[in-house]
Amino acid sequence: MAVREIVQYPAAILKQVCDPVDPLSDLGRTIARDLADTLDAGPGVGLAAPQIGCALRVILVDAARNPKREGQGRFVLFNPVIIERRGHQTLREGCLSIPDYTGNVTRAEEVVVEGLDPGGEPLTLTSRSYEAVVFQHEIDHLDGILFIDRITNVKTDLFRRKPKG
Amino acid sequence: MQFVAITAVGRDRPGTVAEFSGALLRLGCNLEETTMTRLRGEFAMLLLVRLPEDRTPAELEAELRKTAERMGLSVIVRPLSLEEAFPEPPDQPHPAYMLRVYGADRPGIVHAVASLLGEKGGNITDLNTRLIEGANGPVYVMLLEADLPSEATAETLRPELQRLQRELEVDITLSELEDEAL
Repeated sequence: MAVREIVQYPAAILKQVCDPVDPLSDLGRTIARDLADTLDAGPGVGLAAPQIGCALRVILVDAARNPKREGQGRFVLFNPVIIERRGHQTLREGCLSIPDYTGNVTRAEEVVVEGLDPGGEPLTLTSRSYEAVVFQHEIDHLDGILFIDRITNVKTDLFRRKPKG
Repeated sequence: MQFVAITAVGRDRPGTVAEFSGALLRLGCNLEETTMTRLRGEFAMLLLVRLPEDRTPAELEAELRKTAERMGLSVIVRPLSLEEAFPEPPDQPHPAYMLRVYGADRPGIVHAVASLLGEKGGNITDLNTRLIEGANGPVYVMLLEADLPSEATAETLRPELQRLQRELEVDITLSELEDEAL
């Protein structure tokens, strides 16, 4: 198992468009495992490969890790694409790669996501509500889009850390 | 490291931000956190600024006064200690709530709601009010964000908000603001 350090902005990889990857390749398997190990080692309900330093199109979503929210389970998806979006919802999002900052983001209420599972089989799933936000947030990472790019109003009640020195 | 909080208010016109931030830049200041907004024709800026090592808050204020006078702004410079500029977060993060209050305009809405929150140990972190046209006269809309000591506080607050809703003849909704680190 390998818990990787979560890449923090302004690392260039977070603004990069990631490349597709074969789930059955050694690299694909390693990333899937490291995403899971890294998520399990800390808080969070999802991770995208660029957040652990790989510019490849893999996400992990596990919305039910948030005890106040619901999810359909744990999904590792390779080369995911949102093929349908319905409705709107707004959530105050944060990101493990941009600590101490949150903002309201409006996203689709329901999405249909298509991709490959870790066995290389095509997977299509419909996700709603909170979990749908997680899918959209993580898939955005694969195109170098951060939640800040989608904030529609700014909230500034955060506690900034003291500067060093 | 010296920080100041600057507030500046004046008539809104294009170029205010460019001119005021330009003056601060020439004085060697770094704008760290700011909020600026327009209310009708008035524009207000609140800026948390880091001073260069070789400048005192009093010097900055003297220089800024000249700019403010030329621009027609009222300005206040408040020196901050390092502790004030970077308050320690509480050990347990306080849950944040959003309160929406709206109804026919009448005196005392903000005071009544803020007093109730204050009694409960709540801390208002953001507040906006607007007066809009309603079918039967002006309607007051208040959006307020507050930190409460605990989720239990929110539960004890709900019946009291209902009482306030009847007294003030307004509509009030309270919901938890959850930050979702994804």
